Amino acid sequence: MKIQTNLWFALVVTFMMTGCSTSVERIDAQEQIDLSGAWNDTDSQLVAREMIDDSLSRPWIVRFVSETAKDPALIIGSVKNLSHEHINTNTFVANMERELINSGQVQFVASAVARQEIRAERGDQGLNATAGTRNAARQEYGADFMMQGQINTIIDIEGKTQVRYYQVNLELISIKDNRKVWVGEKRIKKLVRNSQLRQ
Amino acid sequence: MPVLYPPVLFLGNRMHKILLLIVITLLSGCTAYQRDSNRLATALNTQSPEIVLAQLQDSKPQARDNAQFHLNRGFLEFLSGDFDSAIATLFLAKKEMSVLEAISISENVGAGTLSETLRSYSGYPTDRVMVHNILALSYLFNNNIEGARVEILQADLAMKKLAEKNALNGQLASAHLIAGIVYELLNEQSNALISYRFAQDIITQRDLPLPLGLKQALLRMSFKLGAEQQFVDYQRRFPDLPKPSQKTENQVFVLYFDAVVSHKVEKTVVLPSRNFAQLIRISMPSYPLEQQHVRPLSEQQVSTEMVENIEVLVREDLALEYPSILLLTTTRALAKYELLRRVNEKDNLAGLLLNLVTVATERADLRSWNMLPSNIQFGYLETTENEIQIDELNDRPQKIDILNGSQNMLLINNLSDHIFHYQQL
Repeated sequence: MKIQTNLWFALVVTFMMTGCSTSVERIDAQEQIDLSGAWNDTDSQLVAREMIDDSLSRPWIVRFVSETAKDPALIIGSVKNLSHEHINTNTFVANMERELINSGQVQFVASAVARQEIRAERGDQGLNATAGTRNAARQEYGADFMMQGQINTIIDIEGKTQVRYYQVNLELISIKDNRKVWVGEKRIKKLVRNSQLRQ
Repeated sequence: MPVLYPPVLFLGNRMHKILLLIVITLLSGCTAYQRDSNRLATALNTQSPEIVLAQLQDSKPQARDNAQFHLNRGFLEFLSGDFDSAIATLFLAKKEMSVLEAISISENVGAGTLSETLRSYSGYPTDRVMVHNILALSYLFNNNIEGARVEILQADLAMKKLAEKNALNGQLASAHLIAGIVYELLNEQSNALISYRFAQDIITQRDLPLPLGLKQALLRMSFKLGAEQQFVDYQRRFPDLPKPSQKTENQVFVLYFDAVVSHKVEKTVVLPSRNFAQLIRISMPSYPLEQQHVRPLSEQQVSTEMVENIEVLVREDLALEYPSILLLTTTRALAKYELLRRVNEKDNLAGLLLNLVTVATERADLRSWNMLPSNIQFGYLETTENEIQIDELNDRPQKIDILNGSQNMLLINNLSDHIFHYQQL
C-alpha cells in the first residue's frame, strides 16, 4: 500500500511539473519546422525565392535589356493579405527584395516610405552638409516596373483535420504604360491534423 | 456498477490529508476567483471599464481560468480604447481556447471525481465567435482594416466548424453583419451581400425582427452589385424602403453594445443520504431568468435595433452542455458517496470530516465570458451632413464629425462615454 501511495504521489507531482519546464534550442534559420500549419518563415522564403526565380527567367527581362540597354529597375508595391491569417507581408516583401537584389539582374528602388526618409535626409544635407559631401536633389533613379500581389487562402475543415491552401499571386507592371509583363502564381497545400487529446 | 474513485482513495492516511488540503486550497482559490469575476462583471454597470480593468488585472487567476481571464481583460481593454493591448490579450485567449479544444483526460477525471471547476475554461461556442468579433473591431478602430478582414474570415471558419454539431449553435448574426460592413468598406460588394444575407438568415431563424439597417444593406448591396433578381426580390419584401441612390452620401454604420450579459449562478441542493450517514451536495450552474436590456439608441435619424441577443446565446450554450454537466455531477456524487461510505466504515470522525470536505468542494462551474454586452444593436445612416449627434448615450449628447464622401463605422456602448470611430474616404 505504501509503495502504491508513493507511486501515485510521484505521478501526480511529475504530471504537475511537466507544464512548468521551458527549453530553448537554437536552430538553423533555414530549417523547416511546421508547428501549427499556419503560414510561416519557411513558406515566406520558399515562395519568395521560387517566384522571383520564375519572374527573372521570363522573356520580359531580355526584351527590356535589348530595348533599353540597361537593367530594369524594380520596386515592390503592396502585397495584400487576403488570407485567413495575420501574415506579416513585410517579411515576405523583404524576402522578395533580397532575392531580386541578389540576383544581380535588376536594379532595385527603395519603397515609398523609405524614399520619404531619404528625401528628408537629402534635404537636411542640402542645408547642413559641406558642398563636397552633399547629395543633390532630383537625382533619383526611377523604377521601370512595380511588383504587386496578394496572398489568398482556402481552408477546409472536417473535425480535427483541415486542409490549408495558400495561393500567392504576383504581377509585374510596367510603370511607363501599365502593361503587365509577368504574372506569377505559387500554391502551397498543407494537411493539418490536430490532436484529440492534450495533457 | 463500476465507480470511478478519486485518486485520494488510494492514498495512505497522511498523504490522504495532505492531498485533501491541497484540493481544498485549490478549489477555494478557484471559487474565489469566480466570485471576483462575477462581482467585477456586475461592477461594470456602475464603474468605468478602465476602473474594472485595473481591478481585474490585480486578480490572480488559476492557469485553468486563463482563457476566461484573457477574454474579459481583452474586452475591457477594447472598451477602454486600448486596441493594441486588446488585440494582444484576445490573441492569447484565442490561442488558449484553440489548444483547449482537445480533450484532457486528467481534467475530466478531476471533474468527474472532485469538482467541475478542475477543468480548464475552454470557451463556449459564443465566446469562440465573439472573440473574432471583438478582434475585428479592435483592428478596425486601430485603422487596420486588413487585420479586421482576417478576423472576420476566422469568425466565418469558426462558425462553419460549430455548425457541424448543431445548426444554430455558435452562429452569430453580429459576426456576419460586421463581416458585411468590413467587406463593404473594402468595396468587396459580392462578399458584403453574402455576409448580410447570412446575418438575415440567422436573425430570421431566431425569430427576431429584421433591423432596418440590415434591410437597407441587402437592398443597397444587391443594387450596387447589379444582382437584379435579388434586388427586385428585396424591393418586394421591403416595399417601404426607397431605391438606393447612385450618388455617394456619407455612410454611417452604427453598432451599439448594450449593458452586460448575465452571469451564471449556482443552484444547490444538499440532501442527507438514505441512511442519514452522509450529506450529499449537488450544485449546477444556471442563468437567472432573462432580463430584457434592449434600450434602442436614438440617433440623428435612426434608432439602433437588436441584431444579437447574447442573453439567449449564452443560455443556449449552457443548455447544450447541460447533459454532460449532469452526467459528471452524478458520477461525482456517486464517487464521493462511495468514498465516504468506505471511510465511515473505518473511522466515523474521519468520515464526518471528509463529508464536510466533499460538500465544500462540490461547486458549480460558473465561469463564462461574463463581461460581454447583453445585446448588440445596429443602425445605418446616409447623410450629407458633416456632423451627427448621438443623443441618448448616458444622457450626454455627443457630436461626431464626418468628412464629405466618407464611410464611417461607430461603436457606442452604454458602459462608457467612449465612441469609437473609424472613417475612410
